[in-house]
Amino acid sequence: MEFKLPDIGEGVAEGEITKWLVKAGEPVKADQPMVEVMTDKATVEIPSPMNGTIDELLASEGETVPVGKAIVRIAGTGDSAAKKPSNGQAHAAQDRPTSRPSTSAGSTPAAASATDSSAEVLPFKVLATPATRKLARDLQIDLSRVEGTGPHGRITKVDVQMVYEGKQAATSRSSHPSPGTAVATKTKAPVSYVPSGSVERIPLRGVRKKIAEAMIRSKHTAAHFTYVEEVDMSEIVKMRSAAKDEAKARGIKLTFLPFIIKALIPALREFPYLNSSLDDEKQEILLKGDFNIGIATDTDNGLMVPVIKTADRKSIWDLADEIETLSEKTRTGKVSVDDLKGGTFTITNAGSIGGVFATPVINYPEVAILGVNAIRKRPVVKGDQITIADMMFLSLSVDHRVVDGADAARFMNRLVYFLSDPKRFVFA
Amino acid sequence: MKYDAVVIGAGPGGYVCAIRLGQLGLKTAIVEKDQVGGVCLNVGCIPSKALIHAAGTFWKIQNEAEKMGITVSDPKCDLGKMQEWKSGVVKKLTGGVGQLLKANKVDLIRGNAFFKDKSTLGVRSGEGDTQVTASNFVVATGSRNLTLPFLPMNGKNVISSTEALDLKTLPKRLVIIGGGFIGVEIGMAYAKLGSEVHIVEALEQILPSIDKDLVGVVERKMKKMGMTLHTSTFAKGFEETDPASASTLHLKVEKNGKAESLEADVVLVSIGRKPNSEDLGLEKVGVQLDSRGNIKTDNLGRTNVVGIYAIGDVTGPPQLAHRASMDGLLVASTIKGEKAYRDYRTVPWAVFSDPEIAVCGLSEKEATERGIAFKVGRFPFAASGRALSTNETDGFVKVLINEKDESIVGVHMVGPEVSNLIAEAALAVEMGACAEDIVRTIHTHPTLPEAFPEAVEAAYLKAIHTANVPRRSR
Ligand SMILES: Cc1cc2nc3c(=O)[nH]c(=O)nc-3n(C[C@H](O)[C@H](O)[C@H](O)COP(=O)(O)OP(=O)(O)OC[C@H]3O[C@@H](n4cnc5c(N)ncnc54)[C@H](O)[C@@H]3O)c2cc1C
Repeated sequence: MEFKLPDIGEGVAEGEITKWLVKAGEPVKADQPMVEVMTDKATVEIPSPMNGTIDELLASEGETVPVGKAIVRIAGTGDSAAKKPSNGQAHAAQDRPTSRPSTSAGSTPAAASATDSSAEVLPFKVLATPATRKLARDLQIDLSRVEGTGPHGRITKVDVQMVYEGKQAATSRSSHPSPGTAVATKTKAPVSYVPSGSVERIPLRGVRKKIAEAMIRSKHTAAHFTYVEEVDMSEIVKMRSAAKDEAKARGIKLTFLPFIIKALIPALREFPYLNSSLDDEKQEILLKGDFNIGIATDTDNGLMVPVIKTADRKSIWDLADEIETLSEKTRTGKVSVDDLKGGTFTITNAGSIGGVFATPVINYPEVAILGVNAIRKRPVVKGDQITIADMMFLSLSVDHRVVDGADAARFMNRLVYFLSDPKRFVFA
Repeated sequence: MKYDAVVIGAGPGGYVCAIRLGQLGLKTAIVEKDQVGGVCLNVGCIPSKALIHAAGTFWKIQNEAEKMGITVSDPKCDLGKMQEWKSGVVKKLTGGVGQLLKANKVDLIRGNAFFKDKSTLGVRSGEGDTQVTASNFVVATGSRNLTLPFLPMNGKNVISSTEALDLKTLPKRLVIIGGGFIGVEIGMAYAKLGSEVHIVEALEQILPSIDKDLVGVVERKMKKMGMTLHTSTFAKGFEETDPASASTLHLKVEKNGKAESLEADVVLVSIGRKPNSEDLGLEKVGVQLDSRGNIKTDNLGRTNVVGIYAIGDVTGPPQLAHRASMDGLLVASTIKGEKAYRDYRTVPWAVFSDPEIAVCGLSEKEATERGIAFKVGRFPFAASGRALSTNETDGFVKVLINEKDESIVGVHMVGPEVSNLIAEAALAVEMGACAEDIVRTIHTHPTLPEAFPEAVEAAYLKAIHTANVPRRSR
């Protein structure tokens, strides 16, 4: 049979094949993980629906495939059905009505339930009534992980409610994920925590899980240190105010971010190690020729980092426009996998909420991240005068394996140099 | 004025969706270029079932009444009058839909709709063009008959199902191209009314998606009625250069590589249906279609464009009225912002042949492909008291039971009234009912539904009313 990329989650239309866990010619067992698929929301393992042998992999690693597209052909053990023409093939005749008039295919609704892959994933593997299934979806509980207490293991509404309230450990079946069901990778040994008082258990899933994994990887790999400096943004504040009318005319929301990117680029050019990554395996530092700036974005689902590609070739207007569309796409969950890839340096803006400064976590495998903070009017001493200026803290976290403190400080000086007088980055 | 939602097409997908949207308190309009009720009410499910029933009554009077001691001298069929009765049924139903739309405060806009942009619809009618704006759109434009260039329809003697359901004179020799459910249903009805009917089917079996054992029962009845089945046979075109003006048509066919010719006075082309996804301006707003022109949707009925949804036949198979309606309810909830999911295990369906066929859940092949080990239980209607007492004993009920948890995986029926019997089976599949649940539910006696628990018992060699034959488990 041809196995299609199943529906991996609401709103997910495609996934990238990140890793095949089986090879052509190899035997597979039902429920054995076959492939790792990354979507914009999470990375999942997809298990085999049956016992058999892998006939052919129909998609290669790195390929992005839409939900419903065949990704692997599996020959069932002692099951010749797979070789016989299937309903699907009967229908295929409809594609070529002129060459081979299939006189029946189209008029037969055929394949009704079973082959309409979008319609169902779990069914026939888990016993639960429609009302119970609805409840589970509402509460985002994976039925394949709930132990049913009804006859023959039927899952009742009460079972689902119990899992939701954390009264039943929903792990009993986790080693037997249902075929076609996306199961989060690497089930970790449960940490025993005896709750006291009221506790709500929320499964670590999707974007949250991905963030957790990425942060651990970064903190465990990069040797973080953070360097903080302040900069007088008065000139940029003036420049931005001056552009207000034009921004309005162009229908663009002009924030400080495009100016900061503009100042950042010449500084990065001078310090290419800040725009690099470390290939642990080959023990090589990769200096990147592109300046693709990631923008850490706060969404309802958690932190995501869409990337402004080739930011060095864009005007302030272009940047402003792109930041607005990208962050809107990210917030509404419409960002594509491509939009989230290829970053070389990241900016995180903690200032929009508050705080003096933060110590950002590097977006590994990048080696540096710039935290920009709130611009506040503060008294500053210029010459021997106390004046009021628009001041901002910059916090730069760097991977010490690649960049030393002195270089980070020098880089920061250049950044401050460009930011404190925008004429300088215009000339740069 | 801006609507919350505008539905395009008032078939069983569209009108159900619009009514529910109205019930949910959304400002709703529905655009229909033709009659409310869509294909289903006007030229599909309803008129075909009316005609099938009338033809069946005529057939019974001629062939079965006498055996029961009823003599009717020289029964006649006035096809024109039969069509009038059928049209009356259709009118009653479509009128009802119109009233329901009104009662739920749905505005009915007459005309042909097309997208101008993502929030504006143009509507073209005899009275000129108007515009409708809305925050959400539901495309429910359905499907139409597929045609082949070498079998051009002319509405006269080379026709589609639409004209076939409205013939005023009985064809002497009717050749049907396509042995899907539409061809089979209409073919059997005309055979009962007295036509000589031939069915031409390219594949090895008519109703190719249904298990062979079920189709066999219908094939036997067809042959008994004098119908001729040409399977593995391809229609190639007409010998006549101008079929419309010929009084007798000669259809060229190729049967197992051999050229043959079939004579007919009417040829019905029923080779499938294709989605009405062109001329809607979908490309302008960027709605994605698949390679066959079906609108692609996700589990919530959403297309790739925010605010545009699609339901029913225009989204591809299974092209069934009840699936379209279920989608309509789902999308209405989604638009309202309620939690809703397309989460059904099965779309049951029926062929209104004689005897009827109805299926739900997985077929034997599908269950095997999914690696599900199952038991099979079977009960023949010949052993049912009710079937005997209505003189309809052809057929059986076949149940597939999961070996692992004894749940009902699939139910396949051929026999009297099985289009009605399948509802209970679908409920069982949807509820995740187990074998025991079925046999512990008391069924009224004497009725046809008793066949369901009997078939389940048979899988465990415990049937009461048939000999228990051990069957190989798969
Ligand atoms: C002979 C026959 C018998 C059938 N029997 C059965 C059966 O027994 N059981 C079953 O379940 N199914 C049956 N079907 C299939 C069933 O009719 C369809 O699945 C069902 O009608 C699909 O509903 P829908 O709402 O998607 O579209 P439709 O019913 O096709 O309705 C679409 C509507 O949209 C309108 N429309 C299209 N484009 C536009 C536009 N641009 N602007 C405005 N309006 C537009 C059309 O005029 C039409 O009224 C049968 C079909 C046929 C042909």
